[in-house]
Amino acid sequence: MGKLTIGVFSSLVGSLSLDFAVKLSEAAIKKGHKVDFWVSGNATMLSKKGQRAFKDYSALEKKLQELFATGNFQATACEACAEARGYRKEDTMDGWKRHSMDWYLASCFSADKVLHIGGD
Amino acid sequence: MATKKFAFVVKSLPYKTEASRLALTHAIASQTVEIYLEDGDNVEPVLAFIGDGVLNCLRNQKAMNTYGVTSLEQHIKNSLLLDLKVLICKEDVEKFGISEDALIMDAEDIGGETRANIVAFSEIMKEMDSSNHLLFF
Amino acid sequence: MKLGVLVSDFRNMDDTLSRLKADKLGIILVSNGVYHAKVKEGGKQSPILEKSPHLYALAEDLQTRGFAETDIDSRVKAITYNDLVDLIFNEYEKVIWV
Repeated sequence: MGKLTIGVFSSLVGSLSLDFAVKLSEAAIKKGHKVDFWVSGNATMLSKKGQRAFKDYSALEKKLQELFATGNFQATACEACAEARGYRKEDTMDGWKRHSMDWYLASCFSADKVLHIGGD
Repeated sequence: MATKKFAFVVKSLPYKTEASRLALTHAIASQTVEIYLEDGDNVEPVLAFIGDGVLNCLRNQKAMNTYGVTSLEQHIKNSLLLDLKVLICKEDVEKFGISEDALIMDAEDIGGETRANIVAFSEIMKEMDSSNHLLFF
Repeated sequence: MKLGVLVSDFRNMDDTLSRLKADKLGIILVSNGVYHAKVKEGGKQSPILEKSPHLYALAEDLQTRGFAETDIDSRVKAITYNDLVDLIFNEYEKVIWV
């Protein structure tokens, strides 16, 4: 079994790219792989706790908690990107880490596969 | 001990989205990645600008003056200062009618010695081929 | 190089895709990229479908946009997220998202 590192830069609301990445993570973990998940730029929104789940907006907190519970999923948000958007450490959803961008590169270094989802 | 090469391929225009800025900041982060790696392991970044992305490489950007944010020019110069390999696609530069004089080819003004290179797309493709991972922005 | 390209958009794809060279090029249509599997603009199928014999489209993204898996170009294979994981791990050395 291998390790997949997924980096996402797109906003939670408005693109469904994060929904895609979380679904892919879930499928990979169910197949026995490990997943590292990095969010940067507007995607750091995903790491903010306390989001209300409306039907018109993507809401992934519950799914993320399920993935964390597997023990084969770790998620990290770009600290500078989060701070720039007003997401403080105390605002971060349980299970998430915050690091600088070099964490992502280190995760890619040890990954068997990398899927980098750029964009807005 | 291993070195793994990552290709950061920039195809996005600057400023309206954060994509190209994040490409550069993530590529530059390769300079500090060692703190997370085993002794002797390292990341070798290659920055390649293709398609619309070559427009990030135009000189005389004034983003700091106009919007108070770091220009892509400054980030590209920082990349050169740190000796990152910077490649600009020749066919795309020609497509846009851009002369070499109009492009950020060096960082001499901040003490850099490494120069950017204008190369054919086939050369960029070779870099992608020899990279361990590809990150498109 | 065996390269899997996840095509996520309907526009502005050709400039990048047409120049990529790989020993094996897989095109995996996801997100708005799945329109390439169905929409005929001016009566013509998407030129992206000519780029490779290895064409896939994510079934959930087809269904999201109102398309049945059986109603897409016959060259395109509808796949699940499970299939996509296998493609990423077993079929392609590198994957990119455009």
